Amino acid sequence: MLSLKLAVCVAGILLAAGMPIAYWVTFSRWRWKFLVEAIVALPLVLPPTVLGYYILVGLGPRHFAGRIWQAWFGHTLPFTFGGLLVASVLYSLPFAVQPISAGFEGVDRRLIEASWTLGASRLATFFRVILPLSAAGAVTGLVLSFAHTIGEFGVVLMVGGNIPGVTRTVSIDIYDQVQAANYDVANRTALVLLLFSFLVLTIIYGSNRRALGIWRRP
Amino acid sequence: MSLEVAIEKNVAGFRLAVEFTADGAALGLLGPSGSGKTMTLRAIAGLETPDHGRIVLHGRALFDSERRINVPARERRVGLLFQNYALFPHLNVAENIAFGLRCLPDAERNRRVAEQLAAAHLDGLAERYPATLSGGEQQRAALARALAIEPAALLLDEPFSALDTHLRSALERQLRETLASYRGSTLFVSHNLEEAYRVCEKLVVLSNGSVAAQGPKEEIFRHPPTLEVARVTGCKNFSRARRLLDGRVEALDWGCTLRVAQQFAKPPEHIAIRAHHVRVHAARNSTRENRENMFSCWLAAMTETPFRVTLDLRIGAPPAGPADFHLQAEIFKQEWESFRGLPQPWTIELAADRLFLLQD
Repeated sequence: MLSLKLAVCVAGILLAAGMPIAYWVTFSRWRWKFLVEAIVALPLVLPPTVLGYYILVGLGPRHFAGRIWQAWFGHTLPFTFGGLLVASVLYSLPFAVQPISAGFEGVDRRLIEASWTLGASRLATFFRVILPLSAAGAVTGLVLSFAHTIGEFGVVLMVGGNIPGVTRTVSIDIYDQVQAANYDVANRTALVLLLFSFLVLTIIYGSNRRALGIWRRP
Repeated sequence: MSLEVAIEKNVAGFRLAVEFTADGAALGLLGPSGSGKTMTLRAIAGLETPDHGRIVLHGRALFDSERRINVPARERRVGLLFQNYALFPHLNVAENIAFGLRCLPDAERNRRVAEQLAAAHLDGLAERYPATLSGGEQQRAALARALAIEPAALLLDEPFSALDTHLRSALERQLRETLASYRGSTLFVSHNLEEAYRVCEKLVVLSNGSVAAQGPKEEIFRHPPTLEVARVTGCKNFSRARRLLDGRVEALDWGCTLRVAQQFAKPPEHIAIRAHHVRVHAARNSTRENRENMFSCWLAAMTETPFRVTLDLRIGAPPAGPADFHLQAEIFKQEWESFRGLPQPWTIELAADRLFLLQD
């Protein structure tokens, strides 16, 4: 299932990329930080078609970034799985960064300082104090970017087009089926998607609560 | 073994400028909240960067604005006990103590953790998580964690403020024992003067971001140099003062003239006496009345604590109301019971060797 593969990749990339961005957004004292925050949050309010359009043009063969990509990999990004991946990562970025950042924010500053005075480096402090204490934020970020990618339609259509087996995700498939008046097929696919999303969310939220219970007062 | 601090920092309208030296004995940083105690500790630990100055610990510069030295907190080897203890909630007591010992081999690390657990009387609690510990246990665990890294200096930020009163004295005794065997410099921050007096040998009194007094504790309590220091050290009775030609001092606010044992070079601005040094006699007899530093007094108000009473007294004439008083006297209940019913005026005695003179 193409959607699943895409969502797993996007969630994985965002977990890895979202952490340093969220860390910076949370702990930086740079005065223009709000600009970066605004850029990260942009996909929340931007119509998917607008974002899709810019990615399409930006990564296309006429543009700098697109040309570099072409020179390295021998093909352009739009209308490939790679293009879809880049677009989805950008589009879901705030869904990962914001909960992770909120998790970091919730960690008591004094615990971080205590870690420093005990000789831990910033990186060690991150892995031994900040991350364990904000696991809920990371899990939420992961789940949200996963779920958001599964359901994404606009950006995917703009950048990926609708190539069966390459860029046709489930949500686009449903759209196609409805267009073709195949309501039975559309209905079945939609139902599968609904149940699947619900299942994933329940599993992760359920286990998340148990994981958090360990260090709460009994 | 010494810690030299001379730093300046301006933050949002507050100016911190302190200079002091701590040697082997515990040094108390005493001052009201907002006087810059905690900021000073944070600067020494490397959690705040001063604007100017230097911090030298055992000959090693931790901060020096002129030489552009600013050792990061993790390399300072300064143990900090936070006011709320800041134990890691996701780690148990043993893991908390072992936190700063990561680079040691397992055997050595376990040995040190066991050693600290035993010293802090936490043996049975190694596997417990901080949320399941009492306040006193948390404090001991946090202290053990700070000491485990064998810090060159130990900074204690109001270590008892989060505890119930009945826990304090036992923990304080334990802390004094711990400090007695600790070899580095200790800085003890407190706003409780009695606590600071018991734990420390020397005191630095901070007021509004600067050092108002420093020296051996007895010295500071016996002869506070300024009005502010006298207040911080718990003195309650002050009067503006004027030196008379015969060498006596007139207490302008109290309306009396006093003989003072203390030698003074500069003319004093204020005269003061501690509430528990004020003596009250029930006798009204006139022979006493005419003696030196004894005056007729009337009771304006009375406050009771379990074992003592505080009397608000007015010298010279009966008070107009409960707020019309000159001095406060603190006496034991038994003594109070012995004369509470007797007719006023009583006699107040301000002993010459208990009075002290202050500059502004």
